Amino acid sequence: MIIIPRDFLKFLTERPLYFTGFIIVLVFIVVGSIAPYILTKPEDAWGLTYDLENAFKSPSIEHLFGTDALGRDMLNRVILGSRYSLVIALSVVFLSLAIGIIVGLVAGYIGGAIGTILMRVTDMFLAYPPLLLAIALAAVLGRGIITTIVALAVTWWPWYARLMYVTVNSIKSAPYVEAAKVIGLSRWAIMARYIVPNSLTPVVTQAMLDIGSAILEAASLSFLGVGVPPPIPEWGRLISEGWQYIGKAYWISLFPGIALLLTVIGFNLLGDAIKEYMNPRLRNVTQVMV
Amino acid sequence: MPISTGYIIKRIIMLFLVVLGVLIIAFIITRVIPARPELLWVGPRATIEQIEKARKELHLDKPIYIQLYYYLKDFFSGNWGVSWRTRQPVLIDILTYLPATIELAITAFLLAFMLGIVLGIIAAINYGKVVDRVISVISVIVASTPVFWLGLMLQLIFSIWFKVLPGGMRIDTDVAIATGFKPITNFYILDALIQLNISALINIIKHMILPVAVLMMYPLGLTIRTTRSLAIESLQEIYVKALQVWGLPRRLILYKYVLRNVIAPVIAALGLSFGYTITGALMVELVFVYPGIGYYIGMALLSFDYPAILGGIVFVAMIYSLTNLVVDIIHAWIDPRVKF
Repeated sequence: MIIIPRDFLKFLTERPLYFTGFIIVLVFIVVGSIAPYILTKPEDAWGLTYDLENAFKSPSIEHLFGTDALGRDMLNRVILGSRYSLVIALSVVFLSLAIGIIVGLVAGYIGGAIGTILMRVTDMFLAYPPLLLAIALAAVLGRGIITTIVALAVTWWPWYARLMYVTVNSIKSAPYVEAAKVIGLSRWAIMARYIVPNSLTPVVTQAMLDIGSAILEAASLSFLGVGVPPPIPEWGRLISEGWQYIGKAYWISLFPGIALLLTVIGFNLLGDAIKEYMNPRLRNVTQVMV
Repeated sequence: MPISTGYIIKRIIMLFLVVLGVLIIAFIITRVIPARPELLWVGPRATIEQIEKARKELHLDKPIYIQLYYYLKDFFSGNWGVSWRTRQPVLIDILTYLPATIELAITAFLLAFMLGIVLGIIAAINYGKVVDRVISVISVIVASTPVFWLGLMLQLIFSIWFKVLPGGMRIDTDVAIATGFKPITNFYILDALIQLNISALINIIKHMILPVAVLMMYPLGLTIRTTRSLAIESLQEIYVKALQVWGLPRRLILYKYVLRNVIAPVIAALGLSFGYTITGALMVELVFVYPGIGYYIGMALLSFDYPAILGGIVFVAMIYSLTNLVVDIIHAWIDPRVKF
């Protein structure tokens, strides 16, 4: 899938903060992938049963993260929650990346009236503050994993479309594209062989940087009650479940929130690392005013 | 003068087009995507007659472009529907709730801006040292924090455990009654100042501390990061080195030369973060039961009050476009390098 250049790893290990971010992301991805197989109480995690005798137990050896209003073990629920955050965030980013790349490519390379119309539509979406349009759409579509993904992706692609459009436009008149035209390659061949490969880097990098935000926005939708429905232990939902018991059983909201915070910090740190790695101007600051 | 009247007129025309775009998308979401839009309009306990009436009112029996025409017409004549929850016209509701949010957002923004620039500069002049590392870590953490969770936790610590700050509302009812505080403009700080009501003012500020603290996190992180990286760049410039060689005091170099290069881009970045702050306000106000426009939309979401949800969201999107315009103009005014 993604090939990590070896000197990027070296770059990371030399910077403890970025390395921490990398480790957090790695742990999150691994736990999210194998979550169903490492649960000690799967029925608690999936929320299929309840045990009122054990409700609102504070954190202890038996229940490290305590139990919720229905006596379910919070540690198990938080672990399984990572999987939903991972799946939703990746789907949102990949889906909007795909739409954004196609729209930006068509608008940038083919241009003309179609290009203008596409970019105007993109601008219409960008006129909304982030998340707000997704909230409206999710409210109309109803709760669900798929609708959450759709609501977020529909409002997310315009950022990639714009970035792709700008990149394609700057490459379109590059000497090697001109040369390809001169030797008589068709428009499609030029697009497939030169334009696409050379314009993907910025937009794909940006998408990688955005995974943390996607996790946060999905959790926000769930917190507002328009995202993932119960009993799915998505982190935003778990926090909102604990909301009404906050004075009585703070741990219901505390631990999913810490998991969410750490994950987003991890992705943001890794994002900063990628940005710094790819921008030599930031990398080689030697001396600042003494 | 870098800004011309022509530029501002052009931007205002563009603003109008943007608002039109916002409305068209809202129209698609409310009237085209749902299978039966009239059901969203009248609420869950409507009679068949009411539903029929709503179908007529929304012109759902007409072709789609006629529907769009009536939608825009209703919008510009202020007919935004009636909220099921408050039984009030949505536009009137929004205007009642708006001042609380403006008060909150402006306070959070100003604090984030001032604190962020100071911390960013401190980090930059201590580049690579412990202070810089600590400030950088803080800036990443505050920008990554889920606002709704942080709100809950601060509420837990300061109003449930230690009971030092109120956990909700804009003023305590008993304080309002005892001091005879009356909302006039609905900007409570302003109202308390007009009435020279100091104890009410203190109570209002106490109520603002936690929501403002949560709301300023994202812009604070962004301001620190932007200021830091710009200041680092600017400190490396040759002219800064020259100034040092000439023996100008450090403080003077910082204030007069470095800060000037930093402020304009920071304002531009803050303008961008305004969108996040608005959606943040939605959750912060909901958690702190702070009756602003975010609380209004949040409650509407929890009760599936569609006219209120969509009216609120369209309104916020318009404010957002307007803010972008103002930020661009301020940016052009401060930074002579920006030309339009």
